[in-house]
Amino acid sequence: MAQENKLKTGPRESVNYPVQVVYCGNCTMPIEYCEYYPEYEKCKQWLEKNLPREFEKVKIGDGSDSPAGDEEKKRQKRGGKGIIKTKKKEEGPKQVCVSRAPRGKKKSVTVVTGLSTFEIDLKVAAKFFGQRFACGSSVTGEDEIVIQGDVKDDLFDVIPEKWPEIDEDLIEDLGDQKR
Amino acid sequence: MFKKFDEKESISGVLQLKSSVQKSIRSKILESYPFLDTYLEVVLPKKDAFKIVKCHDHIEIIVNSAGEQQFFRHREGQWMPTLRLLHKYPFFLPMQQVDKGAIRFVLSGANIMCPGLTSPGAQMTEVPKDTIVAIMAEGKDHALAIGKTTLSTEDIAKVNKGIGVENCHYLNDGLWQMKPIK
Repeated sequence: MAQENKLKTGPRESVNYPVQVVYCGNCTMPIEYCEYYPEYEKCKQWLEKNLPREFEKVKIGDGSDSPAGDEEKKRQKRGGKGIIKTKKKEEGPKQVCVSRAPRGKKKSVTVVTGLSTFEIDLKVAAKFFGQRFACGSSVTGEDEIVIQGDVKDDLFDVIPEKWPEIDEDLIEDLGDQKR
Repeated sequence: MFKKFDEKESISGVLQLKSSVQKSIRSKILESYPFLDTYLEVVLPKKDAFKIVKCHDHIEIIVNSAGEQQFFRHREGQWMPTLRLLHKYPFFLPMQQVDKGAIRFVLSGANIMCPGLTSPGAQMTEVPKDTIVAIMAEGKDHALAIGKTTLSTEDIAKVNKGIGVENCHYLNDGLWQMKPIK
């Protein structure tokens, strides 16, 4: 194999740095390592959708590699199977819940939960709410934001506007919480 | 090192450093990776103040102002680049190539054993003991792990048994999955 200079240290003249590496959207690794990920099928799907050109390459590669792969399966190996564990993403229902909780006698606060299921940074979201409604807003727990003041009705418009991936139907109104 | 690392639990604090300390870190990095000299200005610009994230188990991570992890170290050890940085500038670490069979073990966090470095599919560049190296793989273009040699390459070839490179950081470990820090 002509790889003598592949391992050479030091910048190469023909390459422009920084090198852009394509990462898989499913397993986050460079796409050439996807095949070692337990959920390779999902990676392939992602690749097909997002990078059809790379996907073609993988397909061609797969065809020639498969006989060798079968052989490997037959042979038993030492040291276990070495399967990479996937970090299980919690795939709960993606939903945002808003509710109103009383604060004192005549004031109320709005509690928003479930924003993190859409992978939204809660800190940023809290700041945004505070600015939008001109009130206090804070992250009060895992996946919970409390906005001071009753802004529940506005939230149904504001949230889909700020994060288009959240549809208005995905926001559930839990009504009033009793103390 | 980052096998059980969790972004939420393992971070104990983020601190801004004094510029004199930043300077000394910069020179230390340059000292250990001389190939980086023309690019260090891009990686860690002088004007741009970077932060240090202190984590449990005496791990420290350098984070640039955009929040990307750049280097990490354990206790007072050498600064090591993160894989994302190494993928961008793959040249500044000596590379060791492991054979195909080793890839999946390395990806689950195993140390690199000598036979994986001496078999036909593998290749080594000569380095002394305790060097930070990039682990490449047979037939792949990008690094899959960063490690520290526990033996010199000469000894690895001679002994051919046991751990050759200690796996410090690999694809999909806790550090890799860490999101940018603000």
